[in-house]
Amino acid sequence: MRFWGMFRFTLSEALRKGTLLFYFGIATLILLILSFGIGRQPSDQNVITFFGKPMILSGPISFNAIEFLLIQLHSLSSFWIILFGVLGVAGLIPEMLEKGTIDLFLSKPLSRMELLFARALGSVMGMSVNMIYFIFGIWCIFGLKLGVWNTGFLASSIYLTYAFLCLFSVVTIAGLITRSAGFSIMLTFAFTIIAWGLELREKGLYMIWDNTLYHRFLDGLYYGLPQFDAMLANCTRIIGKNPFNPNVADFTFMPFVYSFFSTCLLYGLSLWYFSRQDY
Amino acid sequence: MEALQTNDLTKHYRTGAFNKKNIPALEKVSLSVEQGEIFGLLGPNGAGKTTFVKLILSIVHPTSGTATILGYPLGQRTLKEYCGYLPENHRYPAFLSAEHTLLFLGRLNGLPESVLKEKAHALLETVGLKDWAKVKTKKFSKGMLQRLGLAQAMINNPKILFLDEPTDGVDPLGRKEIRDLLLRLKAQGTTIFLNSHLLSEVEMICDRVAILNKGKVVRTGTITELTTQKLAYIVQLSSPISKEIRDRLQQTILPIEYHDTNLIVTLRDKSELNQIIDILREGGIGIEGMTQQKTSLEDYFIQIMKGENGQ
Repeated sequence: MRFWGMFRFTLSEALRKGTLLFYFGIATLILLILSFGIGRQPSDQNVITFFGKPMILSGPISFNAIEFLLIQLHSLSSFWIILFGVLGVAGLIPEMLEKGTIDLFLSKPLSRMELLFARALGSVMGMSVNMIYFIFGIWCIFGLKLGVWNTGFLASSIYLTYAFLCLFSVVTIAGLITRSAGFSIMLTFAFTIIAWGLELREKGLYMIWDNTLYHRFLDGLYYGLPQFDAMLANCTRIIGKNPFNPNVADFTFMPFVYSFFSTCLLYGLSLWYFSRQDY
Repeated sequence: MEALQTNDLTKHYRTGAFNKKNIPALEKVSLSVEQGEIFGLLGPNGAGKTTFVKLILSIVHPTSGTATILGYPLGQRTLKEYCGYLPENHRYPAFLSAEHTLLFLGRLNGLPESVLKEKAHALLETVGLKDWAKVKTKKFSKGMLQRLGLAQAMINNPKILFLDEPTDGVDPLGRKEIRDLLLRLKAQGTTIFLNSHLLSEVEMICDRVAILNKGKVVRTGTITELTTQKLAYIVQLSSPISKEIRDRLQQTILPIEYHDTNLIVTLRDKSELNQIIDILREGGIGIEGMTQQKTSLEDYFIQIMKGENGQ
C-alpha cells in the first residue's frame, strides 16, 4: 500500500516531466507520420511505400525488408528513448532528497528501502510507459498496415525496460551521492561511454597497454558493471538478423544475466548508502 | 506513561570529505514528555531543536543515547504510524492539489482508500482550506502551505504530533485558529511537541517547555515554574507611601520599585516579607493584595540565553 502509494506518485511525477512530455510529443508525431505514410503498393504487395512512393530497399536474396526497417527504426530510436529517459527522470532521486521533502517522506511509516525502490521503479516505469507507447504503436502500425506482427519487436520493449532499470541503478547511486540531477545525468552518460568502451575493449582499450593484468582489470569492470551497450544491441537482435551485417551474433540473454548481478550490487550499495545518511 | 522519553540522546554531525570534522548538534539530551501534554522546545537558531525531532523520527541517526516514543524504541517503523510531523520548510509536490497531496501522504501512512477521501476533506475543512481543495499547491501562499502541512500531519490521527514552527508565515487570525486547533487536539488526548521561535505563543499553549542551547538542555519546567520569580512580589497598597517609609523599606530590603500604589520588592529570603508588612503597617498603609511577580517567557528566555552565553 505505502510502496504503491510512493510508486504511483513517482510515476505520475515522471510522466509530467517536460522532457518526457516532449518525447511523448515527438513519438506521437512519428507514429502519426508512419500510420499515414507507410503502406504497400496496391499493384505489387512486395513493395513498401512511404506516402505513396516506393521505398527502395535492396539487400541479400533472403532480405526481409520489413524486418530490416524495424531493426533500423529500433536501433535509431532506442538510443533516443534512453537519452530522453535519463534526462527526464534522473532528477527524481535528487528531488526526493531536497530539504523539506525527504523529512516528510522519512517521517512516514515507510522504510528507506521501500522509499528508494518505489522511487526508482516509478522513475523507470515513467520512462517505460513512454517507450512502450512508441514501440507498441509502431508494432501496431506495421501489423495493421503491412501485416507483419513481429513479436521480437514488441518483446524488445521489455528488454529495453530492463536495460533502463539496470542503467537507473547508476542514476540512483549517482543521485544519492551527488544530490544533484545535473551531476547524476553527467555521471550516467559517462557510465554509458565507459560501458561502450568496455564492450569494445578487445578492439580498443586492450590496445592501449599490452598487459595481462590491465586486460583482466578491464574484463572485471566489464562483468562487474551493467553491460548496457551489450543489452541495447541484444534488444535489437531479438527483432531479426541485420542482412547487412550477417556476422553479428544472435540474441543472447547473457548480458542481461551478468547485468542482473551488477545491478543488484549497485542498488544494494545505493540502499546501504541511503540508509546510513542523515537528512 | 510518557509519550516521549530520551536518555542522553547525542548527535554529532561529521562534515568534510577527507578531513572529517565533528560538529556536536545535541549533547546528552534527556527529556520526558507526558501523554496528552503540549511540550515546547525552545532555543536560538542552531540550538538543535530540529535535529532533536529528526532523531526521534529516525530522519537522522543518533551518535549515542536511547529514546522511546509511546513505548517503542527509536528507529522502529511501527512508531511512525502513531506520529504526525510538520517539518520546517516543508515542500509539497507543486503539481498536486491540496486534496491530492493529502491523499498521497495518507497513502504513505498506510490508510485505506475507503477512508482517505473523507478524512482528507474533513481535515481541509478543519484547517480552513475546504474551498482550496482542488487548487494546485503551487498557487498556495506560505500560510496556506502551513495549514496544509498541519492537515497532513494529522491525517493518521497521530497520538503524538511533532510541529516545527507550525505558525511560521501564518497571519495572526490563522495563528489563533492553529492554537485553538492544538488545544482541541490536546483535549482529545494527543501529545503535541512544539518547536517554535514565537515564545508568546508557546507561553499561551504549552504545559511544559525545555530550553535548548548549543545542543544542551539548559532549563525544563512548566511555564509557571519558569516565569515566576520566586522572591519577587508585587504588593498592592491602599494608598501611596511617603518618602520616609520608602527610605525605611530600602534600608531593609533589596532595591524596590514603586509605581502608583504598587510596590515591587525583590527579597533575599521569604522572612523579609514580614519585615515589609510590619514597616507598611507601622506607617498606616493598608495592604490590599500580594502576588508573586511573573516575567514573560520571552524575557525569561532572553535572560537565560544571556546567562548561558556569558553576556
